[in-house]
Amino acid sequence: MQRSLYRSAPLIVVQGVTKRYDGEPALADVSIAVARGEFAFLIGTNGAGKTTLLRILLREEPFDSGVVLVNGVDVSRIRGAALTKFRRRIGVVFQDTRLLPNATVRENVGLPLQVRGRANREIDVAVDEVLERVALADKSERFPRQLSGGEQRKVALARAVISKPDILLCDEPTDSINPMHAREIMGLLLEINSDGVTTLVATHDSEIVNNLRRRVIRMDAGAILADEPVGVFNSG
Amino acid sequence: MTAKLNVLRYILGAAMLGLWRNRTMTLGAVVTTAVMLVTLAAFLAINDTLNEMVTALGRKSNLIAYVRDDARPSRVTAIMQDLEQRPGVGEVVFVTKEDALRVFQERFFDQRDVIDILQANPLPASVELRMDDPAVLPGLADELRGMTEIFESVAVPLDVVERLISISNVSRAAGTAMIIALTAVALFVIANTIRIAVYARRQEIEIMKLVGATDWFVRGPFLIEGAFIGLVGATLAAIALVVLYLQAAPTVTRIISFLPIATDVSFVRNLAVFIVLVGLVVGSIGSYVSVRRYLAV
Repeated sequence: MQRSLYRSAPLIVVQGVTKRYDGEPALADVSIAVARGEFAFLIGTNGAGKTTLLRILLREEPFDSGVVLVNGVDVSRIRGAALTKFRRRIGVVFQDTRLLPNATVRENVGLPLQVRGRANREIDVAVDEVLERVALADKSERFPRQLSGGEQRKVALARAVISKPDILLCDEPTDSINPMHAREIMGLLLEINSDGVTTLVATHDSEIVNNLRRRVIRMDAGAILADEPVGVFNSG
Repeated sequence: MTAKLNVLRYILGAAMLGLWRNRTMTLGAVVTTAVMLVTLAAFLAINDTLNEMVTALGRKSNLIAYVRDDARPSRVTAIMQDLEQRPGVGEVVFVTKEDALRVFQERFFDQRDVIDILQANPLPASVELRMDDPAVLPGLADELRGMTEIFESVAVPLDVVERLISISNVSRAAGTAMIIALTAVALFVIANTIRIAVYARRQEIEIMKLVGATDWFVRGPFLIEGAFIGLVGATLAAIALVVLYLQAAPTVTRIISFLPIATDVSFVRNLAVFIVLVGLVVGSIGSYVSVRRYLAV
């Protein structure tokens, strides 16, 4: 879907994408485009296809038909070392956080820099900086099990942005956490987006969608129902 | 270059940390590896003893070729030198006519009348072969029988030889089959233990891949951990083997004196080195294979 917002080619283009799990459609002819630096919500109930779409954008999941371009690159054709490079430009906050259970907060957050072969000193500085930003500097040596759900989300967010990615994908970043942490996380996401990071947030939290008044892509049963520049989420 | 060194440093650190943080799993894998390798080593030692027994029995089977009185001594010497070089031949001894007579007299010392009848020495000189491998005896006997200008006759205890060959073949085949089977079981159990350890951490592998880790970055710590588990398990097995063997072998030899148990240190040392190498290789390969299936994220 082309929108007048785009001055140049969109950073993310999804065109006619279909995905089935055991014959059941998870995505049905989905098409969206997201501009560089844009902030958009993917909303819908469980099973709407939000997570599947994010997984496809990360090339974690193959799809059956259609085209997905990220920064002009056909995602379905990325293999091997190119896939590693591709993923290094995307930060992800997974719905289940996927923190390493046996690693400390510091180690979890520093992982994207470790995989790039950065020096420990450099990693420590970057980790301190980002933990300061998510207000977890005093918990850097704790393990994930020693943190609350909201704190774990913030650690996942810190890990996602420490490498300064071009794109940030968040899957239900405020799910099952208290409203205070949810507001903090949304504030952080806006802040990160204001640094120029294209941000796509999948959620079914109507409150944050309605408060932030950003672009809303509404999904249901694997299809795009609506794409509104400033949408509201009527949870009913 | 600096990035690669940093990655290497990380991999080593992550491996050590992984071993420590998953220490219950590590301990389980080490113990399993040690037990399997001790079993394998014990069977290798038993198999070696059995083979030694068969070889020792083979050494007791001799071939005697009786030399014609008119045979040229230089020709007999040349044949003996040739026989010494043959595979399976342990010792070649020349028994002169005089030696043969002396043995005869010693054996029949209580029958002076028989000895007194002998005016001249009627006994032939002979070439006696003591074998390492009885399997070559029948062929050698035929060959020597063909040298009619040198040898009068050739005596071989063929029924004994045939039985020995058959025991030796069955023992070796059964031993080889058991070693292959036991090695396969040991490899399977060790690799499976490592696979379970890797399975428990599959999410870790997936996460690392999704944040942009290369396959080697993910694989590295697991490979080192697998090699470490294999090495430590095998070293424990080797220590147990050396201690048990050196303690038990002299006692067993004393009780069952005919058992040719190798009590020398070099045999046990070679076995221990072999076990350690097996542990190291299996640990590394087990990790490599186990991690590979989770890398396709």
